[in-house]
Amino acid sequence: MDTAELIRLGVYGTSILLILIGLYAVLTKKSLIKIIIGLSIIDGGIHLLLIGIGYVKGGTAPIFSPGSEDAVARMVDPVPQALVLTAIVIGFGVTAVALSLIIRLYRHHNTLNIDEIKNLKW
Amino acid sequence: MVGTPVFLIAIPLLAAFLIPLIGMIWKESVRIIPGLVLAYMTVLSASLYLFILENGTYVETIAGWQAPWGIDLVFSPLTGLLATIMTFMGFIVWLYSYRFKSNVEFEAAKKYFIFLMLLVAGSVGIVITGDIFNQFVFIEIVGISAYALTAFYTGRNSAEAAFKYLIMGSLSASALLIAIIIVYAQLGTLNMAEIAANIDQMNVHYRIIAMIFFIIGIGVEAEIFPLNGWAPDAYTEAPGPVGGAFSGIVVKAGIYAMVRMMFTLFDISGPMKILIVIGLVTLIVAETSALRQEKLKRMLAYSSIGQMGLVLVAFGMGTKAGVFAALFLMLNHAIIKPLLFLSGSFLTFNTTEKYISQITGMAKKMPVVSVLFALGALAISGLPPFSGFWSKLSVLTAAADENLMLIIALVLIISVIEIVYYFRVINRLFFFEYDESVSVKPHKPGFNGMIALFILAGLILLIGFYPASVTGYLDLAADDLLNTHQYIDKVLQLGQSIIQ
Repeated sequence: MDTAELIRLGVYGTSILLILIGLYAVLTKKSLIKIIIGLSIIDGGIHLLLIGIGYVKGGTAPIFSPGSEDAVARMVDPVPQALVLTAIVIGFGVTAVALSLIIRLYRHHNTLNIDEIKNLKW
Repeated sequence: MVGTPVFLIAIPLLAAFLIPLIGMIWKESVRIIPGLVLAYMTVLSASLYLFILENGTYVETIAGWQAPWGIDLVFSPLTGLLATIMTFMGFIVWLYSYRFKSNVEFEAAKKYFIFLMLLVAGSVGIVITGDIFNQFVFIEIVGISAYALTAFYTGRNSAEAAFKYLIMGSLSASALLIAIIIVYAQLGTLNMAEIAANIDQMNVHYRIIAMIFFIIGIGVEAEIFPLNGWAPDAYTEAPGPVGGAFSGIVVKAGIYAMVRMMFTLFDISGPMKILIVIGLVTLIVAETSALRQEKLKRMLAYSSIGQMGLVLVAFGMGTKAGVFAALFLMLNHAIIKPLLFLSGSFLTFNTTEKYISQITGMAKKMPVVSVLFALGALAISGLPPFSGFWSKLSVLTAAADENLMLIIALVLIISVIEIVYYFRVINRLFFFEYDESVSVKPHKPGFNGMIALFILAGLILLIGFYPASVTGYLDLAADDLLNTHQYIDKVLQLGQSIIQ
């Protein structure tokens, strides 16, 4: 196994680990803030995965410029990076909405413990 | 034509940003501009729909990048029909919520109508886009505006419902993003038509994993079991018209994304029993839960989930008749369930808890609204001569064609359960004496709200007595969904030249 493949496996492994850590936080933590942190960690893992897919070792930016017309073969795939930018903005929006909801919940219930907020049952 | 499909997304987004600014000068604009935008969207999608019925599917390329490279909007007989229904329902919900409860205040009205407009725009975007990442973005737009609308009332438990919805929504959006990553890594494209054309090259294991992530990702909006835990709470705690918007608009977009993924992206038209299984479980769990609910809106929410289960069962048959029946059910549900939510919201106007016992004998005080509620209840449980009867009948005939006797038996049993819980409400409404100590104080319904209710009731009667007025359109839409090759050819502009 050469280094490039090792790096690739490392990136994929790290991103999946991040997703799992975030999922663990969302599922087990009692504090609303920690749940939101967990969601952000999941987002981070997914963004890393996306970037990892488009990465080319020793690649260049996907821009044609004088003197580097041969760069087509070495270009990093730009689509995942565009996707990640969009996904980051969306994640930011969701986190902001979530935090504002937490403020509302805290004013209503005077607690951030999810076990004590159970007026609605399935 | 009054415009192109891109206006369906661009105009409401632009208006959403401009409304707070214009609102500083002219306060009434926060209510009027969203109505004008939604009316324009309805006219635009209806006229585009009539245009494409004559001239064939219209594919809009954004910024001059042709289909596999750029984002495209596909306005076909199926997506056009759904977009028209959604924009029309958006307009009806606007008409109803004009000056509804706290919407008379400037700040509240501003937030409410902006989010309502974004909700409709996002749902229409989910339906007409031809790109899976674009669809993900629209699902998030719908999600964020839906969380905000759910948490609209302060002082109730609405923030709790919205937070529950947010956790489920954003986890499922993460799953959807993972599915998109898998598909992109395997096929190197995000365009639905190109994915559909090349899906055979994808490793079968990755295909199954991607499909599971897609189902998880879209299932929250489509209210499939067990991803629908948010729905009863959100419907109960959100303002009444928002419940109507969720059931009439958002869920339809979720179901569309689900079937587009199942039929077109992952062509599994052969042994496609997975949709039937998901649908049946959703149907049975939701309808039996609806039976023991004590709150009116919660009961309606479970009924809504159950209907979506039935839609998925009908889609799952995979035949022309099944898809036709599913689309007919979707159309009827989009009309009837908002009628129930909107009239039920008038009946329980002066209460926050919305218990069914609180509307005892209300027919004596609010006869017209009660009759409209009863009309909706009879229609959705499938009694002739209302529109729900024809859609349920077409599900049964489609199942009979396929020799699926178990499904026929289950659908009939579920219909009986539906009749039981709706008649429980109708019984309390009409045949009990009004009792001041139990029932809520009746509220005089607003003029604009009554117009909205009468339009919906008129549509139910129209489809009930003349089902032929819509079956032709549904037939074309069913053909459009099943014909994957035509979709691929149209979007990638293979074969015939397109109409400009």
